[in-house]
Amino acid sequence: MSFVDIAHLTKRFGDHTAVGNVSFQVPQGSTLALLGPSGCGKTTILRCLAGLETPDGGIIEIGGNRVFDKVRGVDLMPEKRELGIVFQSYAVWPHMTVAENVAFPLKVRGVGAAERLAKASKMLETVGLKGFESRSATLVSGGQQQRIALARALVHEPRLVLFDEALSNLDAQLREQMRLELRLLQERLGFTAIYVTHDQAEAFGLADTVVLMNQGRIETAGPAREVFARPSSAFAARFFGMNVLEGRSAGAVEGTDRVVVTLGGRFGIEGVAGQGLDPTAGTPVLACIRKESVRVSRDAEKGSVPGTIAAMSFLGVAEEYIVDIDGVSLRAMQPAAGFRRGDAVHVAMAAADWIVLP
Amino acid sequence: METSQKGRWLQVGLPAAGVTAGVLLIAGPFVATVVRSILVDGGVSAGNFIGLVTDPRFAAAAVNTLIAGYCTTVLAMALGFTLAWLVARTDMPGRSWFETGNLVPFFLSPYVGAISWIYLLAPHGGLLPWAARTWFGYSMDWLNIYSIPGVIWVLTLFYTPYVYLFVIGPLRQMDAAFEDAARVHGASFWYTLRHITVPLVLPALLSAALIVFVTSAGLFDVPLALGSPRGIKFMPTEIFSLVQYPSDFGRASAFGVLVLTVTILLTLIQRQFIANRRFDTVTGKGYRPRTIHLRTGTRIAALTLETVYIGGAVVLPTMVLMMVAFSKLWLGHFMWRTATFDNFVYVLTKYDLTRSAILNSLFLALTGATLAVALSVLQSYYLTRGNPRRRALVDALLSLPLGIPGIILGLGFLILAIRTPLYSTLSIILIAYIARFFPFATRTVTAMFLAINPELEQSARSSGASWFQTMRLIVLPLLRPALVAAWLMLFVIFIRELGATMLLYAQGTETISVAMVILSERSSGYVAALAMIQLLLLLSAFAIFRLTRTSISQS
Ligand SMILES: Nc1ncnc2c1ncn2[C@@H]1O[C@H](COP(=O)(O)OP(=O)(O)OP(=O)(O)O)[C@@H](O)[C@H]1O
Ligand SMILES: [Mg+2]
Repeated sequence: MSFVDIAHLTKRFGDHTAVGNVSFQVPQGSTLALLGPSGCGKTTILRCLAGLETPDGGIIEIGGNRVFDKVRGVDLMPEKRELGIVFQSYAVWPHMTVAENVAFPLKVRGVGAAERLAKASKMLETVGLKGFESRSATLVSGGQQQRIALARALVHEPRLVLFDEALSNLDAQLREQMRLELRLLQERLGFTAIYVTHDQAEAFGLADTVVLMNQGRIETAGPAREVFARPSSAFAARFFGMNVLEGRSAGAVEGTDRVVVTLGGRFGIEGVAGQGLDPTAGTPVLACIRKESVRVSRDAEKGSVPGTIAAMSFLGVAEEYIVDIDGVSLRAMQPAAGFRRGDAVHVAMAAADWIVLP
Repeated sequence: METSQKGRWLQVGLPAAGVTAGVLLIAGPFVATVVRSILVDGGVSAGNFIGLVTDPRFAAAAVNTLIAGYCTTVLAMALGFTLAWLVARTDMPGRSWFETGNLVPFFLSPYVGAISWIYLLAPHGGLLPWAARTWFGYSMDWLNIYSIPGVIWVLTLFYTPYVYLFVIGPLRQMDAAFEDAARVHGASFWYTLRHITVPLVLPALLSAALIVFVTSAGLFDVPLALGSPRGIKFMPTEIFSLVQYPSDFGRASAFGVLVLTVTILLTLIQRQFIANRRFDTVTGKGYRPRTIHLRTGTRIAALTLETVYIGGAVVLPTMVLMMVAFSKLWLGHFMWRTATFDNFVYVLTKYDLTRSAILNSLFLALTGATLAVALSVLQSYYLTRGNPRRRALVDALLSLPLGIPGIILGLGFLILAIRTPLYSTLSIILIAYIARFFPFATRTVTAMFLAINPELEQSARSSGASWFQTMRLIVLPLLRPALVAAWLMLFVIFIRELGATMLLYAQGTETISVAMVILSERSSGYVAALAMIQLLLLLSAFAIFRLTRTSISQS
């Protein structure tokens, strides 16, 4: 049962199409992440959902309720859509106390003062801000403002909560912590959530479903693990930080879903054929592999190829290398092994880790 | 060694001299007024105050002034906020034009505005009653411009831009998420406006309100034109009549001291409590407020409001002034039969009073603006680069005249100069102008000074430039936009000043505004011609202001 249903959503700013013909569903109680590079239209979709922008076309249903329909002329005001929202800037009102901020959604719904305060206090406790009620909202830290914004978005028990880069302003540690807490909260309260983010760790850490956007269109969508494990396009592969190498097909391996690809000179690999690939020998293809799946070692092993370290950078727990194999540059990431520039190494890659895309 | 000593003397001495001059300019008339208020027949007594407060005329003037000031403030706040909101936040058609248009009244003369409204609405012989009667057969006789509501109407037209200027910035910069969050969490548009938008700009709105109250209540021009003819008493006109023959300087000074006390108290409240309470409304990655779409009904209402405002403050007054100025005899409407250039010819070439008044006004505005801007540079240097411990006090002191009514400062200088050779010269008027208005320039220049990184000067000094060379080659060029803006603002203020001038002028030192007052009982044609000439001077300053502003922001 999908709780949110977006069909053929389109939004233009002047000649610029910020969102073009986007459709997706979010099942009740689950979490969807809208992922993509800056300017790809994630925020615009969220604002259309909330009723803060008027789309140029499409249909939006929330909880079986049609809130926008271009053709039928339906366009519910934001306040009629019964949502919660957390903005990246938090938008905690500076002229109110913490409790007044959190109780605002109840106040506009005509809930009495005593009940309002009780519910707001309870919600503040849930987000770990017990005792902050009468504090001025300007006198709390960024992380605390974020929690206030979260409490405010949940206090009226909306069935859908929207998050626009809600965690981006926090430092890494706090972000990690909030991510876990959000998952727990969601399990307890059972709301449906849509997160907008450009950070893949945040998307995969929070969401059941991921929608990857590119220039106003959906590039890939699906269960988080699947989208991550089997990128279906070069854009997705690059966005997830994979090696994407140009090559030519040398023909399919009979009886399997594998293709042999020449990557330049004598260097060739065998990989899994992606969707819609034409394996005819000579066709230009893209071979993709995750940095973590490229193993660099001093000694040769079965199926490994010789190469040279062209560059390295130390990242703490891990080291990243650029390895030159017969004129082809490949990035590798692995626990620190202490290779230097110019070292002769051997590189091993499993055929199952290569994905070949058209 | 000797030259370096001389350089240091310049660097410390010049700014200090600028500050001292400013303090003396303020303290002189202030002390004179206070001292004069407690002198009775050569002895010290509270007699002036007692005589004043037991005078029923005082009560009437005080009450009328408070009513007019209060109503003007409320109306200007409502109108200024609405216009700023329409321009900053909605898709009202033509809003880039209105953005400038709403500011034009800021540059016009309230006295001319008041007399234009007399030509427009005088019970007999007004243009609008004539048009209503002739075209619609409707009698507008119940409308009387010579009344407290008339004064409030004209004051509101002129003080709306103050509020507009104060709130348009905060409205533009506000993070739209504040309002969006309220909407998504269930608040309607009007609820959001009342409980989120207005409270967020409230500090700016209250600052504007206090300034509008203080300055509109102290303005001499409008009560003189609209109250005095029917004997309606206001504070500024009452002080003016107290120093006319048979004069009572003691009582006038006592009145002045009371007004000064209230003004200074309100100014301090504004500085202490409101100006510092600004919310930081731009947080994080706040994004620009999206423009709100006005539906047909609201759009028509918005355009009507703009039309009434700009029509009432700019278009109708200018139109009627032209009609009167080009009429041989003004009978409430324009007739081509009696159209003439005579008024202009007479005012510009034949009549000594008006000819010298125009020259005097030009001299005062050009010299006064230049001297005041020069003074403000020295003071700003002190306020931004000088001794940090004394800065706050000096700043508070130097901004005192901002709210003091011109008529009261004029009274102070009159008391100071009355038995000196300065009495009845242009110089005393010039000094009073600078004393009353230099804080405007100091404000503007200080704001720009704060934006200049001191390292720019320090690197010039390190490269071997003297302090004076650094000022001339680095600081002044960087300050230029502020200097131009301040100079033009003062030029405008000086060209139209009336309150202080009315007390200080003598035969031969009349200004354009004074000449209009003198002629107002004799010939509306001459007054209107003079007003047109003044209007042209003001509008040229405004045009230069807009042009330099855009060229500055483009570069
Ligand atoms: N109000 C607007 N007027 C004009 N163009 C806009 C407006 N809002 C967004 N856009 C444009 O639409 C496109 C999508 O914007 P959007 O804010 O949805 O991107 P985003 O994916 O959220 O990016 P980011 O990660 O930087 O927040 C961008 O090119 C942006 O410049
Ligand atoms: Mg965004």
